Amino acid sequence: MEKIGERYSLLSYIREYFCKILHEEKDLSPGIAAIKTLLYVLENDKSETVQELDSNFQTTIDIMRNTDVPVTSVASGCELFLRFITFAKLDYKTFDECKKVMFHRGKIFMKKLTNARGKIAKLASTFITDNSRILVHSKSRLVLKAMEHAVSLHKHFRVFVTYSSLDNSGKEMADELKNIGVPCTVILDSAVGYIMEQVDMVMVGAEGVAESGGIINQIGSFTMAICAKEMKKPFYVLTESFKFTRLYPLNQRDLPNEFKYTSGHLRKDLSKEHPLVDYTPPSFITLLFTDLGILTPSAVSDELIKLYL
Amino acid sequence: MPRVKIYQFYLIKTSILNYREVDGSYNVAVAVVNLFKNLVTQEKWNTAKDLINLIKTCGKLLVKELPLQTSAENMIRRMLKIVRDEYTTACHEQEELDIQESLHKIVTSEEEIDDYSKTVAELKDSILDHISEFHMELETSIENITKEAIKHIHTSEIILTIGKSAIVEAFLKEAAKHRKFEVIVCECSPLNYGHNTAISLSQSKIPTTLITDSSIFGIMGRVHKVIIGTHTVMANGGLRAVCGTHSVALAAKYYSVPVIVLAGLYKLSSQYLISHEDKFNQFISPESVLKYSEGILTSLVHVYNPTFDYVPPELVTLFISNAGGHAPSYVYRLLSEMYHQDDNDL
Repeated sequence: MEKIGERYSLLSYIREYFCKILHEEKDLSPGIAAIKTLLYVLENDKSETVQELDSNFQTTIDIMRNTDVPVTSVASGCELFLRFITFAKLDYKTFDECKKVMFHRGKIFMKKLTNARGKIAKLASTFITDNSRILVHSKSRLVLKAMEHAVSLHKHFRVFVTYSSLDNSGKEMADELKNIGVPCTVILDSAVGYIMEQVDMVMVGAEGVAESGGIINQIGSFTMAICAKEMKKPFYVLTESFKFTRLYPLNQRDLPNEFKYTSGHLRKDLSKEHPLVDYTPPSFITLLFTDLGILTPSAVSDELIKLYL
Repeated sequence: MPRVKIYQFYLIKTSILNYREVDGSYNVAVAVVNLFKNLVTQEKWNTAKDLINLIKTCGKLLVKELPLQTSAENMIRRMLKIVRDEYTTACHEQEELDIQESLHKIVTSEEEIDDYSKTVAELKDSILDHISEFHMELETSIENITKEAIKHIHTSEIILTIGKSAIVEAFLKEAAKHRKFEVIVCECSPLNYGHNTAISLSQSKIPTTLITDSSIFGIMGRVHKVIIGTHTVMANGGLRAVCGTHSVALAAKYYSVPVIVLAGLYKLSSQYLISHEDKFNQFISPESVLKYSEGILTSLVHVYNPTFDYVPPELVTLFISNAGGHAPSYVYRLLSEMYHQDDNDL
């Protein structure tokens, strides 16, 4: 009785914990926040078998997916974490020892993921040359970090940011860029085609990377990619490796609905809702900057196969 | 400490390379491999970490002297990968030899990063063995590429090539022993490298036609294949080839003619094209474009004579290297097998 009561209270606290992390550390991607939550569950969990632990994880993941956060990076982050759990050598005498080992590895895993951003920013900043004009789509923490790094290397460049009328996050991005001293212009989403001839490259983040090498990113990225290809401008994507997911969408409708709409909207009539994300096929992407190095889109599936098979 | 000695040693060697006694990317690659073989044999080092730092310091000097000779840089990175590989096999005999960063590794790793500082017995011998094997591989690279010639050239075909490339000549001559075909050579002005190729091919009894660069598009409709060499293969599968190659590739794309690039693996570089202005191209004397004897015109006109062209990977159909044929999208795989990620900035 007591155990069920404890379990209940742990899981009911998860939702608050997850939302707390998201609220307090705005700098963290929802995927990393999800992995942190799972680590917290692992730490405070009182289960006695692997199966119980696994079902606790599943419940936690379901709870996190039901919050109003874009689900894409949460889903891939959690899948990777669970994969990591199943890879642990589990031939210890007691389950507690097992959990200690898992927790220790979880910490190493988290450390590697948090170091990823610095690596990516360094790689991407070498591609930002002096006097270049960069087009950016809405707010991306990675792109911001790469530009900060480029500024610290005393490079001078300008940025055009789309307004991103979904949540006006483009305005926030512009403010942050102004704070680090980068001349910045906010443009209308519909002005992407107009501005493309003036820019030298496009840099976007990603919420998820599909197995084909294509990306799932905020709505409007696909349009930008098509324009960039037509005007022969390179389209660069900055993403951490935990965002690689085993999806292989063939078109926009293939994306799962729970990625496109938040959980609140899923219950309403979808034909009247606006999707949050779109899929950009790999043929439009020039290079992906990840913590595994600079990859061409064809290298992504190789990485995923190495992990899952 | 031998630091000063090393510096002088390399200054001598690089002056040889700069004075053009050693010319062409193949010869540079062989010279660099020999250089580092001597380095491993003669200098004092204890652990793999010491050796890696030693190679990196000398490598940095060498790369500074020869910025556009990517084959030198590639050989340095290859040497470093050899050292890392030998160290890893010696230390962990039974584990997988994949020392590259990968998603799988992030998920399964149990310890912290290995920094190559354990002393391993007989590391020197195994490294020297590996370098000798690699040297042999380098020497046989042209042979291995020309072996593929009969598979790609068929009777009565018309092949287009541009400029002068030792590999392409050997390839075509090898195929000519078994098949009858025609070759069209673009002269590649203003330095007209194509003239030498045309003479050499016709001396081997291959029917050759020499055309000007402006007729490339006009002739392309009749061509069956384009076979070219390149100076460097970039990390995304693009090329840094002799100026004029981009026009050939674009014309070939228009007429759906396959473009086959012959390049030894020593030409595969881990650099990406960052911008056309930055360290990509080399501009030589504009004398051949607009003669100085034109007088006042030379002070009124900007004249440029770039050496290289960038060809994007979408325009290349196939790469043939000493390891066989690959698609441009496969280049990332070759890169990860040949070089280690940590060596990307020397």
